[in-house]
Amino acid sequence: MSKERGKRRRADGTRTVLAWQIAFGASALLIWEIAGRIFGSAWTSLPSQVAERLIVWSQQDLARHITVTLTEVFIGLAAGSAGGVLAGLALGRTKTLALVLRPIIVVLYSVPLVTMAPLLILWFGLEMESKIVLVGVVVFFLMFFNTFAGVQSIDTLLIETLGLMGATRREEYQKVIAPASMAWIFSGIKVSMPYALAAATTGELLGGSFGMGTLLARAGSQFDMTGLYAGLFVLLVIGILLSEGIALLENHFLRWRHVAH
Amino acid sequence: MWRTENRDIERPQVMTAMEMGTSSAASKIDFAGVSKTFFARGNELQALQPVDLKVRKEEFVALVGPSGCGKSTLLNLVAGLIEPTTGTVTYDGEPVAALNFRVGYMTQKDTLLPWRTVNDNIGVSLELKCRSTSRAEAKERIAEMVDLVGLRGFEGHYPTELSGGMRKRVALARTLIYRPETLLMDEPFGALDAQLKLIMQDQLQKITQHQKMTVLFVTHDLSEAIAVADRVVVFSSRPGRIRAIRDVPLERPRDVFRVRFADSFSRLHEDLWNELKDEVIKGTDV
Repeated sequence: MSKERGKRRRADGTRTVLAWQIAFGASALLIWEIAGRIFGSAWTSLPSQVAERLIVWSQQDLARHITVTLTEVFIGLAAGSAGGVLAGLALGRTKTLALVLRPIIVVLYSVPLVTMAPLLILWFGLEMESKIVLVGVVVFFLMFFNTFAGVQSIDTLLIETLGLMGATRREEYQKVIAPASMAWIFSGIKVSMPYALAAATTGELLGGSFGMGTLLARAGSQFDMTGLYAGLFVLLVIGILLSEGIALLENHFLRWRHVAH
Repeated sequence: MWRTENRDIERPQVMTAMEMGTSSAASKIDFAGVSKTFFARGNELQALQPVDLKVRKEEFVALVGPSGCGKSTLLNLVAGLIEPTTGTVTYDGEPVAALNFRVGYMTQKDTLLPWRTVNDNIGVSLELKCRSTSRAEAKERIAEMVDLVGLRGFEGHYPTELSGGMRKRVALARTLIYRPETLLMDEPFGALDAQLKLIMQDQLQKITQHQKMTVLFVTHDLSEAIAVADRVVVFSSRPGRIRAIRDVPLERPRDVFRVRFADSFSRLHEDLWNELKDEVIKGTDV
């Protein structure tokens, strides 16, 4: 009885917080709109104008731009994660490989990665390929460091326990090392996601025909404030949806971490 | 004849071959002049002075002594997790060279896999290739073990949701389920309340007698040691050496609930306590 009442009270609490958050956001938009109309909106634009532009865009090719950016993000994420995780697992378990290769990777990471964008455009062209490589490279480093640290942090006692039961090396990987690394891999993906989005849009800012970054570049060069705000708003929504998506996946795969009292 | 056949059916494939060669007179485990010194950060720490001990097949030996006297080190040596500094540890006549998977080891720290439920943790040994158990049989045996340790209703829980005592019980079930021929137990029942302790002691000795397991059982609790074991070995404080060995004159099968009221129990308890108390005091002086 009291447990249910407690649950309801907690739900009400969350609902109240949400209501306040919506109220806060709505009043901020209202203030923006009113202040803009009174003081002029050359540099700040108005929510109503931004909304109008979004509607116009959606009737044009907003969908295509979003798809291009998302494609670059996901393919780059997949390739970079695969490489980073494999490298992390390999170097994490084999000391000699780690001693030789890890310092090299650390040195390469010192290059601010988004400044590689012009180089990649020269190599791979202005279209999606160069952006995918940029995303892939950024994600590779993040996933590698996360996976490496994760593999090293696994309690060797767990591996020994299974070894004593008669597990082969392969079974040790399957039953201990891989599942134990999942937590770190997910944390790596959570961290990588915003960087992946940033890398994709930055690449697009520098050149290309389609993608959210190209919309921003076009608006910027035309001093189109409304366009800039609209583009940023779309990226904001994409970013939120991506993070929430990862969080949902994590809650499913890492159930065992979240069930503690 | 019947006994040997029964044993072959119950043992996993890994072990059957070894069973053929052993005679009942030979020791299962033999510690000959075994000592262990650990080197850490430039310092030497002698955990164990040279120890000689022979454990017979199917014998239940309890190791008792103050903290830090090397009891766990002995178990780690039999399991093949560490090597002796001097002497040899022999298992079934062969020196222990690598990980010894004919033993089931229940460590002091419970090493449950945090991402698996109680059921999956218990059943993990049955998933291994060296055992190849069918899923139906595995399910049955897991259920059997769950009942044995009294965790019905918690099959789908994760380790973080369980109390320390419950996690220990899962670890016990996980070790017993694949019926290893030798059991190494490091203070398995320390975290349990008094009633549960007795129940678990009762279950343990029933199983080990039925499965004809050889057992090395480390405990702080002298009463527990006498109640379950065939022989009790008392260790001195660090660096550990064997101070006394006594046979337990109580008959089997034993009623662990009542056995402590027998005269022979109290006499042995007093005898062993006299040996033990000096070492405990010595240990606490440091």
